[in-house]
Amino acid sequence: MKKKGIIIAVLAAVALLVVGIGVSVVASGISYQKSFVEKEETVKAAYSEIDNQLQRRANLIPNFVEAVKGYSDYEQSTLTAVIEARSKVAAASNAEEQAAANAQLDSAIDIWVNAVTEAYPELKADQQYIALQDELSGTENRIAVARKDYNDAASEYNKSVRIFPGNIFAKIFGFEQVEYFEADESANSVPQVSFD
Amino acid sequence: MKNKILRVAALILVVVMALSLAACGKQTKEQYPTPTEKFFVNDFADVMTAEDVETIYNKGVALQEKTTAQVVVVTVDSLDGKEIADYALELGREWKVGTEEKNNGIVILLSEGDREVYIAVGYGLEGALPDSKTGRIIDTYGLSYFENDNFSAGLASIYDVVVNEIYVEYNVEVENYTPIDQLPQQPSDSTSAVEILISWIVLIVLITLYITIFGRRGGLFIFGAPRFFGGFNHYGGFHHHGGFGGGSSGGFGGFRGGGGSFGGGGAGRKF
Repeated sequence: MKKKGIIIAVLAAVALLVVGIGVSVVASGISYQKSFVEKEETVKAAYSEIDNQLQRRANLIPNFVEAVKGYSDYEQSTLTAVIEARSKVAAASNAEEQAAANAQLDSAIDIWVNAVTEAYPELKADQQYIALQDELSGTENRIAVARKDYNDAASEYNKSVRIFPGNIFAKIFGFEQVEYFEADESANSVPQVSFD
Repeated sequence: MKNKILRVAALILVVVMALSLAACGKQTKEQYPTPTEKFFVNDFADVMTAEDVETIYNKGVALQEKTTAQVVVVTVDSLDGKEIADYALELGREWKVGTEEKNNGIVILLSEGDREVYIAVGYGLEGALPDSKTGRIIDTYGLSYFENDNFSAGLASIYDVVVNEIYVEYNVEVENYTPIDQLPQQPSDSTSAVEILISWIVLIVLITLYITIFGRRGGLFIFGAPRFFGGFNHYGGFHHHGGFGGGSSGGFGGFRGGGGSFGGGGAGRKF
């Protein structure tokens, strides 16, 4: 009799244990899935913000060209590089290509702006030019902020996907790591115009 | 025996629960100063006059009451090697300047040591204050003061213009409002040749009037002239918008950020 009682008690304890573990696994699975989705959406939103700002910059370039047209012989060769780089950005088909094309556009703009202002110092006093320069710097800054926000969101998401026990649930639900924006030297350079 | 099994089961449960909590890792953030009691004016570099601080504070309070927008002035000794645009943006985000729904906050940051100024504009005000306009505001209303180390007056002057632009955006009537784009450049020297010339022309016109009206007592003109001249020497003073404050309403603090965020909009200058 006593033996039977012990067996029943052990069985009850094991059942309790199994049910307990089962419930907590399912519960944490649900909460993990939810947090993966939320973090992934943040990453996506951050990514599209980068796109928006890159588009904004691409749209600014024709205005910029227009503003310096009055200075007839402006650096034609450096401008050609800008226009080429811009068309490459538009033609890029994946994120990697796009990042490379944008880095190239960054440095092309940088070189061109420096060449133009060197050749025509009076441009620095031109109201329209200053205004466009502010818009361009502001856009560069927004791109930098958007990239940083993306990387922060991506880091947050990647951590949750990689750290145990999240990695198990990530595998079950099919969440994979996302790539970071590499801090490219030329991608970070902002065309500077000094107002001395 | 039974107790032992229960204890093991409990332990496993606790471990599983702890693990599910472990995912909520904590992020370490960089340290930025916390806002002062006045929130709208944070003169950490100690470069502002008490009068300007009071004036800006009152204007900030009035602006928030009428429009919910928040414009915050911050001065620091140094940016500690950071880009001023990043610093201003991080402050704006950290302090949550502006409301959460409208993101209508602005941070005007001046670093005395780096001799730089930056106006960071929240998402919701980028339409009212695009980067080009923001840059123009600094050029027109701030730089001449900053170049002469008159940080307090420069910030007060910029604050006025920025606040007025926001009032216009929110359709609140502003007295003596002049749209930014139609304003002539402020001369960099407050007693420029043009101003002296204008002073003289006005002076001569007044003297002529004086002589015409009080023709027979023309002799007095000699005494009158220096007084007139002195008066017009202060002409430059009318550019100091910051000087005219509203009624003082000290004593109630407790303003803080409303949840606004920033996306990197704005403009800055070195001086």
